[in-house]
Amino acid sequence: MTKALEARKGRDHAGLLRYETVLAIITIIALAVLANITNKFFTVDNLLNQGRLMAEVGLVALGMTFVIVTGGIDLSVGSILGLTAILLGVFWHNVGMPLPLAIVAAMVCGTAAGALNGYVITRFRVPPLITTLATLALYRGLAEGISQARSVRGYPEWFFFFGQGEVLGVPVQLWTLVILIAVAAIVLGRTKFGYATYAIGANETAARFSGIRVDRVKLAIYAGTGFLASLAAVIFVSRVTTTRSDMGTGIELDVITAVVLGGTSIFGGKGTIAGTVLGLVLIQALKNGLSLSGVKGDGTIVVIGVVLIAAILAGALIDRNRGGN
Amino acid sequence: MKTLTLAAVLTVGLMAGTAYAASPWTGGDDLPTNPLACDATPATPEAKPYDGGTPTNAPDRKGKEITVVDVPKLIGIGYFNATSKGIAEAAAEIGNMKATTDGPNKANIDEQITFIDNDITQGVDGILFAANDPVAIAPVLKKALSKGINVVGYDADATHDARQWFVNQAQFNGIAKALIDNMAKEAGEDAGVAIVTSTFTTPNQARWIAEMAAYAAKCHPKLQWLETVEAQEDNNLSFNQATTLINKYGDKLKGIFGMTSVATPASAEAVTQAGQCGKVAVVGLATPNAMKPYVQKDCVKSVVLWNPVDLGYAAAYVMRATADGTLKPGDTSVKAGKLGELKVINGSEILLGQPFVFTKENIGNFDF
Repeated sequence: MTKALEARKGRDHAGLLRYETVLAIITIIALAVLANITNKFFTVDNLLNQGRLMAEVGLVALGMTFVIVTGGIDLSVGSILGLTAILLGVFWHNVGMPLPLAIVAAMVCGTAAGALNGYVITRFRVPPLITTLATLALYRGLAEGISQARSVRGYPEWFFFFGQGEVLGVPVQLWTLVILIAVAAIVLGRTKFGYATYAIGANETAARFSGIRVDRVKLAIYAGTGFLASLAAVIFVSRVTTTRSDMGTGIELDVITAVVLGGTSIFGGKGTIAGTVLGLVLIQALKNGLSLSGVKGDGTIVVIGVVLIAAILAGALIDRNRGGN
Repeated sequence: MKTLTLAAVLTVGLMAGTAYAASPWTGGDDLPTNPLACDATPATPEAKPYDGGTPTNAPDRKGKEITVVDVPKLIGIGYFNATSKGIAEAAAEIGNMKATTDGPNKANIDEQITFIDNDITQGVDGILFAANDPVAIAPVLKKALSKGINVVGYDADATHDARQWFVNQAQFNGIAKALIDNMAKEAGEDAGVAIVTSTFTTPNQARWIAEMAAYAAKCHPKLQWLETVEAQEDNNLSFNQATTLINKYGDKLKGIFGMTSVATPASAEAVTQAGQCGKVAVVGLATPNAMKPYVQKDCVKSVVLWNPVDLGYAAAYVMRATADGTLKPGDTSVKAGKLGELKVINGSEILLGQPFVFTKENIGNFDF
């Protein structure tokens, strides 16, 4: 990596830290306000439960952070989730595989679906937005076609461990999420792969010239996002005890919202896992806290919209100040 | 990298193959059916022991003020506006019950589950629900029961042990009979018919379709089933799907069943705009206000439904009776205000009544 890139990355980090500090302060204020409005919010039970509910969006958001840092986007994650869920059911129920094998096979397919996104994007230079818009329809169509829209139910009790179980009083999927947050943070922030990801997002041509295997990195990122969406699918099926072909519809918007609120630039080159986690927590806290304090569903959406705009404005202000320094 | 991508392409291709290999599907569920007699012999519901769930350590709520939330499939459509109106009416009459309606603005299983989960945290006394999926909603409802909350369903059921009672607007086989009989009368015994439904996995619609298929096979065997299409609960999509059916099947299509309160008026509009009034019959489930223009123009002859305001009203009374302990497992009827005594059927369901067929003669008397 060239010195210039290194320097650029350093500067971005300084700026981002400031955005994240602002976001952290907003999150803490939001948590305090919500805890004040309703005494049901800041209870261990509720917080753990919210962790359970945000795990699926959170897992996919980790992958999406990488994707958006490269300047790409993946709209097909909800469809990959639905497809994996359906395949899990079909492999187990219709094909007759043992359930553990069906889980692995379905996740391999989900990861392959992500890799296919990456392949089309890197090999044919189709913009990610268009590629994944197409596969959004393709994978959802496959999910509907394969399942013939029939739900698969009647999973054995042990399978519900992933979505409903607890380890040391903490929901299983929250452990999964926390471990993967740590992995993603290290990979993005501390490894060569992570630096390559930033470099591609900052300037793809420069990254290519500086010897980064751009296509290989991108392919791995889209495949990884497919893998995370598949993992989310297994957790989702386990949590709701049934498989439906419309699972995960619209999840891509929740995911992108969390990532962008976390300070990852949609133009690429900027963003951290810490920011994404803050974005996730803030949105989940707002949804839950407002609902608990009696704000109706549509009111909650309005508040989240306002917070998103405010955060983006704050981000832009920080950027401008940094430019002036 | 080449091998990986090749594998990816192959896998996806393989999945596409599987999709085509599977048999076509009418949209029913795989549960056993119970078609009614072809003539007007009424069904005799079998007496079954109580098969609903029981809340654990529920506090004594007899005569006490209770807080109840109503989580319909989605908010903001005429049908569920009507049910929540009925719930509010009943709550006002009952007095010691506070009821609020809030739910997702799309018929989405996950969002509905999250709403109910938050209601449990909030510590409500009772939950009224209309399920988007009978199985997916079950874990969260069981959680509510385990926290001593009273759970009553209406409109669309969950698995029986996940709720205490379910207020059933009309029996599935009764609705199926009304729809098929009216279609055969209007479009002919050997008509080609298609269905516009919400989604294949929606419990009510799937149940009706399964019962319709069974009843048609028994009593109108020459009726030809062309296709079942999905249209969510989306007005535009329903219109487009109905238009596609008209264009695709041409003269072969003699009738369209609308399975939702959105699909039926949209299908009627599609038939009107295609100039097929009188050639393609529309029979379906819908609210009278949405159907009045088509019925008055003679484009639609029969609309099947129950009164959703009454459905919500009955659900609220059942909730109060459950909380008070006046409706217990084993009871055979329950008092529901102005609706009088409602019968308990099928173990843990409360039957609102027979389906109602709106026609040109009577539709003007209704306003919802």
